[in-house]
Amino acid sequence: MAGGAAAPSPTQVRELFKSLLREARKFSNYNVREYVKRRTVDGFQEHRDASDPAAVAAAYEYGVKQLEIAKRQAVVYNLYAPKVKSIMDLKIKPSSA
Amino acid sequence: MAPPSVSRSLALLWRVRPGAAAAASRFSSSSSSSSLSAASSSVPLRSYSTAAAIVAHHDDNHVYPASPPAVMMKGVKMAGRPLYLDMQATSPVDPRVLDAMLPYYIDQYGNPHSRTHMYGWESDDAVEKAREQIAKLIGANPKEIIFTSGATEANNIALKGVMHFYKEKKRHVITTQTEHKCVLDSCRHLQQEGFEVTYLPVKKDGLISLDELKAAIRPDTGIVSVMLVNNEIGVIQPIAEIGEICRKNKLFLHTDAAQAAGKIPINVDELKVDLMSLSAHKVYGPKGVGALYMRRRPRVRVEAQMSGGGQERGIRSGTVPTPLVVGMGAACEIAMEEMKHDEKHIKELTDRLYNGITSKLDGVILNGSEEHRYSGNLNLSFAYVEGESLLMGLKEVAVSSGSACTSASLEPSYVLRALGVEEDMAHTSIRFGIGRFTTEEEVDRAVALTVDQVTKLRQMSPLWEMVQEGIDLKSIQWAQH
Repeated sequence: MAGGAAAPSPTQVRELFKSLLREARKFSNYNVREYVKRRTVDGFQEHRDASDPAAVAAAYEYGVKQLEIAKRQAVVYNLYAPKVKSIMDLKIKPSSA
Repeated sequence: MAPPSVSRSLALLWRVRPGAAAAASRFSSSSSSSSLSAASSSVPLRSYSTAAAIVAHHDDNHVYPASPPAVMMKGVKMAGRPLYLDMQATSPVDPRVLDAMLPYYIDQYGNPHSRTHMYGWESDDAVEKAREQIAKLIGANPKEIIFTSGATEANNIALKGVMHFYKEKKRHVITTQTEHKCVLDSCRHLQQEGFEVTYLPVKKDGLISLDELKAAIRPDTGIVSVMLVNNEIGVIQPIAEIGEICRKNKLFLHTDAAQAAGKIPINVDELKVDLMSLSAHKVYGPKGVGALYMRRRPRVRVEAQMSGGGQERGIRSGTVPTPLVVGMGAACEIAMEEMKHDEKHIKELTDRLYNGITSKLDGVILNGSEEHRYSGNLNLSFAYVEGESLLMGLKEVAVSSGSACTSASLEPSYVLRALGVEEDMAHTSIRFGIGRFTTEEEVDRAVALTVDQVTKLRQMSPLWEMVQEGIDLKSIQWAQH
């Protein structure tokens, strides 16, 4: 997928961004899900104006590696997802006893 | 001869099993199906443990079909898992850390000290890589890192080890009153052995006075131990200045950086520390592993606590736990890469939390220095509220009144008392810990719940009523019972 040091095409970059967000949504854990989303958006924003092909390629390579980790860990997290959800995932109004 | 035949027959068994099952059902279809249905119907009839029975009972009744399944623990009923704001107690393991660890729980299980086969070599490589990752985070040489079971063990080795090694000439230790329990307890142990310990007081902001430190130094002082970031109030001690003083007086400086490593930039040479304790589970790593940094030039020598196989250069015998160490290495590397992101995120959320609470509530006091602090730790005292009631009311927010180690006791925190916080305010402190995985929504929810709960408790409080009426509580003569 990542062709060595060659800079990725805009389509490839967009595809990576979308895939990362898709993986993020798969996490059963509320905090990790939100973190992967946030970190993905931040990461792409950070390199938005990068023009050096080597830097772009390195950032892309890094993103691909993160995507692989996210894919594996989404599976692991979902295997051991607790029965009781985080209160942040329950769409109820904050209750106060 | 025997082993191969056994394994061959085992393989045969594996292959035969499904076939045998199929055959059985083919030949006696009626009986097998009936036994199957009997088995499936008998599953729910199996006796549950009491806890499970309660849950099952709720599930069966369907009294509130719309409400989510609630959890009941320690007599507290919760709608779901509480939001976690206790990052100083421990942090969740980062998925990237777990990803690095898992291979060493599966195929790469070798003992890193095995020198005769590939299993040992690959584990050893992983351990050494982790050592480099950790050293890099604190600007040290990998050879200066000793793996331990955690920061507690590192603190023990640092204090007792140094004093035992230099016991002929050095009989005095300097530390502070706000140290972690394991440092204070090690000092107490040294006192029992005949060493003398000076516990430096702290100023109102939680920082030690450098002049008092200078005054406390004696010719026979062996080691000074001051923590970098306080676990309860998050203040950052001026370690670089303390290091300067220690260098000048040729003293060893130990710092407990469990709460600091990976959160604030650390360089052992800039701080001039000779020993540093680190912990993995405070930086999104696994529990059960830590490290001790020990300077090589000028060399620090310690007496080992444990006798054994001589691992970690004889300083900490016992097999190094490869998966945990790999996790700690990964956690340190990630912390270094993510420090900029984390810092910005945590600062934003802490400000949001602090402003959210203080804009809606009066009588909220931030404990510890406002300026010299790690932003992920917010220790607040709520006036005229009983701390335990507040914690119970905040059951949907996982927070603590202070250190996890002492959270079982009803005593107010010794750290807050060392700061000179009044007893009543020390009783109502809550430590909010914010980290990499905390979200804005969680903070907003925590603010709403805290404000709601404090308001409610104050409405019930006669003291609050008197304060609202303008009565100075200090002027009241309370009747003695």
